Amino acid sequence: MAESRALPGSPARPAAGDLPVVHLDIDAFFASVEQARDPRLRGRPVLVGNGVIASCSYEARRFGLRAGTPLPEARRVCPDAVILDGHYPTYRAFAERIFALAAELTPHLDTYLDEAYGDLTGTERLHGDPIDRCAALRAAIAEATGGVTVTIGLGPNRMLAKLVGKTAKPDGLAWITAADADVFLAARPASDIAGVGPAIAGRLAGMNVHTVADLRRLDVATLSGLFGAVGPLLHERARGRDTRAVCAREVPQTISRETAFHRATADPATIEGMLHYLAERACRATRALGLTARTIGLKLRYADGVGEEGRRTPATPSALDPDVHAVVRALLARLWTRRVQLSHVGVVLSNFAVIDGAPLGLFDAVEQDRAHRLVEGLDQVRDRYGHAVVVSGRSLTLLGTLPQDRYGFVLRTPSLTK
Amino acid sequence: MRVERLDEPIRVRADFAGGRATPIAFQRGTQPHRVTRVNSRWEDRVGRQPLYYFACSVESGDVYELCLNAHELTWRLTSVMLDG
Repeated sequence: MAESRALPGSPARPAAGDLPVVHLDIDAFFASVEQARDPRLRGRPVLVGNGVIASCSYEARRFGLRAGTPLPEARRVCPDAVILDGHYPTYRAFAERIFALAAELTPHLDTYLDEAYGDLTGTERLHGDPIDRCAALRAAIAEATGGVTVTIGLGPNRMLAKLVGKTAKPDGLAWITAADADVFLAARPASDIAGVGPAIAGRLAGMNVHTVADLRRLDVATLSGLFGAVGPLLHERARGRDTRAVCAREVPQTISRETAFHRATADPATIEGMLHYLAERACRATRALGLTARTIGLKLRYADGVGEEGRRTPATPSALDPDVHAVVRALLARLWTRRVQLSHVGVVLSNFAVIDGAPLGLFDAVEQDRAHRLVEGLDQVRDRYGHAVVVSGRSLTLLGTLPQDRYGFVLRTPSLTK
Repeated sequence: MRVERLDEPIRVRADFAGGRATPIAFQRGTQPHRVTRVNSRWEDRVGRQPLYYFACSVESGDVYELCLNAHELTWRLTSVMLDG
């Protein structure tokens, strides 16, 4: 296990209140799980993915491989790499176990696919020194998972906790106080600042702004003029000030279900069957949170790599499979305009409203009530026996063409996020 | 290294000491295997049924993934990771 460390210049043991935010990142997540499951993979370059790398071990990263690299290129660069399709329900189960252990640190845990932020404010008397507590958490996670490691960063806010953690990866623990943020950030690339994505980074580079120190030379008015509402945030964050709260998200921003096809296809029945299956999964996840979606989106990628996205906001929000699928079909008709096969499709629900028993329209009430009762019944059956126990008629085209397990159809590159 | 995804019922001898299951040996077809190490264990559920998974190395070095359905008290072999 790597040494725990403070950054040079930081106090060896800051006061607990100086480190109120913890960031936990699972190292090389999917590949790490595979190495924990099979010790023969430890020390070897492991790639998980299908078509492109979804996750790679640190041994593979030494060859310059990264998530998103096409597998044929990865094979050429690193012929000895072990390539695995991966099993996403297993990774989800590992993440849930790890986050359950992390939740013992604080009830305020904001979790993502392979990382989490926690607010430690007010936990000092219960848990004592956060550095010791996080060291113990890392050990507990490794023990519980059979060797999956995490890197933990502690800091005064989300951005600094994450950035300081990066300096200790993999399998490390690092911390930074607000007093050290100025020096720590100055030499880092401007793209490290939360809110600086590829578009903003590109514009900054065009102005010869490469580091955080360069960014600090721009005043608030200039940044606002360049980037609008994000400008003042960048001004603050370049000085180590990040006011985003850490709290469990009750309402997600989006719920999406996406996958690549095993083989690109132009068969309307296959595409519609898959979209119905994805819409059904997204709707069920939405209903489980007690939400309805105002906006329904569709993502397509053609076999030549060109992508299309569209969304629609119907008059009435819904999380019912038939409603969402009808919109998805309409979007498909609008977006799929080229005579090219599709390699990837996805359904994205967003702009959520909490289900509040809103009154139904006068004429569609009976029909809507029937649809509600049908999905409620299906949800109850699936909650009890698993999603795969019922396959809807529209998805029957997938039967026999896609393998199934207890969790449903085994998709080529299922999305795990959100 | 290749992974075969399976879903076979399987006979498993397990230790339930301390309130948690640990596979000791199992028989696939007529071939018995002794578990030399439980590399990793995790829990999932399908519907309301809790599933306990175990990634187990056997004497040959291959890794077998066993799944205990705690509701039905049945074991299944869900994957094998083979060398080569």
